[in-house]
Amino acid sequence: MTLDFSWLLDPLYQTWLLRGIGTTILLSLLGMVLMFVIGIVGAALLHLKVRFLQSPVTIFVELFRNTPPLVQLFFLYFMLSEIGLTLTDPVTGGRIPLFTGFTCVVLSLGLYNGAIAVEIIRSGLLAVPAQTVEGARSLGYSRLQTFRHVELPIGLRMSIPPMTSNIVSLIKTSSQAVLVAVADIMYGATQIMLETFRNLEVMLLIWVIYLAIASLAVLVVRRIAAAFRIPGYGS
Amino acid sequence: MNAELKLFALGTVGVTFVLAALLVTVYGAETGRVLQALAMRTPLLLSGSPDFSRFEGGFAANIVISVWAMMIAAVAGTALGIGMISQSVLVRAPSVLLMNVLRNSPWLVVLYAMLYLLPFEIEAFGTIFSFSPVIKAIIGLALPVTANIAEVFRGGVEAVPTGQWESARSLGYRRLQILRRVVVPQAIQFMTPNLMTTYAMLFIGTSLVVVTGANDILSVARTVIASDGAHYATAIYLYVLFLFFLFCFPIAILTRWLEQRVRVRQ
Repeated sequence: MTLDFSWLLDPLYQTWLLRGIGTTILLSLLGMVLMFVIGIVGAALLHLKVRFLQSPVTIFVELFRNTPPLVQLFFLYFMLSEIGLTLTDPVTGGRIPLFTGFTCVVLSLGLYNGAIAVEIIRSGLLAVPAQTVEGARSLGYSRLQTFRHVELPIGLRMSIPPMTSNIVSLIKTSSQAVLVAVADIMYGATQIMLETFRNLEVMLLIWVIYLAIASLAVLVVRRIAAAFRIPGYGS
Repeated sequence: MNAELKLFALGTVGVTFVLAALLVTVYGAETGRVLQALAMRTPLLLSGSPDFSRFEGGFAANIVISVWAMMIAAVAGTALGIGMISQSVLVRAPSVLLMNVLRNSPWLVVLYAMLYLLPFEIEAFGTIFSFSPVIKAIIGLALPVTANIAEVFRGGVEAVPTGQWESARSLGYRRLQILRRVVVPQAIQFMTPNLMTTYAMLFIGTSLVVVTGANDILSVARTVIASDGAHYATAIYLYVLFLFFLFCFPIAILTRWLEQRVRVRQ
């Protein structure tokens, strides 16, 4: 078996791949923002034991953690088009769907990994030493202020190692975007495969690209973790 | 167990309620007819045959694929895990590298790559082994899970106090013997919850095998949608979500209970 990578020289294929990489990174970044919002809000509601909201948050977390993100994506994609949420395009005046495939992918990434993030941040919050919390309370901080200024900053730092693998998982999961026809790397790859029939070579290249993106993400998270480290706190 | 039972009840009732509410919101007055259609398609979605006569497609296929992939990954993952704690750098460094590569690769890409990397059939020992889509799916899923299991194995072994190693060493055991007779039996309790989480993750991942052309629940669902009309798509995907939830949620609860028990025992 010989591998032939000469198709990579074609500028058209290079553009497709580069655009795909851009889309994948954008998808992942937006998904991460949503993931953090859901994770922090959910964990805060559970941690502060907000009445009447604890059970809904628990149900939400268990629903999204225990079902495949791919089925969630298909479900969102079809349900939102079934309900038919549309808005008027200000330029052309036509009706365009409010939720495109891109939005659905971002939503499903944020929901699935966000549900996992809730659990991660919550255990980070539980790992904050009780003395620190008591100290803040005795200094006159209210319950909410303690959470905002003491528990959350330390808890988030505590949750960095599991959060790193959650972020890598989010980037990996974003490859599902191709299945609802979002033009990410996988989409570019399938296009190239259709034209060149170099299926194996294209897939191997895509594999390497994803590994590079994931490794880059891990490096960035490490830098961020190092920058936010509290001296003498943790390793 | 009490807290877990409460969570189990809350989760099952709550999720059923949420999914039912979504169904009613989307279909309104038509809900009854949609439910009837779902009930009619249930045997096909669960077993891949219209009357439960065979269990080779649909949700049953997902279970079969996950079990095979888990068994293969358990063997390969243990081997990789042993490599990762080897004393020789020549074995350890490649093992760690392989683990990281497998762990960071998207499952979908590995599945696609296996689709093209594995030959249609190979001839060995005079017989022809053909790689059906199901076998390719099993191998494609087993590869990334191998990395997870290797990581679980290493974590479990490292959780056993080093004194165990040293005392077995002074009794004259060799490294692999210590691992097999002293360390792993003690490490199993730390590994079990993580292995169960890995299995749940693998089961969730079996939804991806639809791309290999295996007759799994999502491809059955797509066939049903194609024949019954796109109008039913939401209902069918809700149903598939519910099935996956019913399978994975008990595993998650059991895992939490085991973790709690291991923590209490220490």
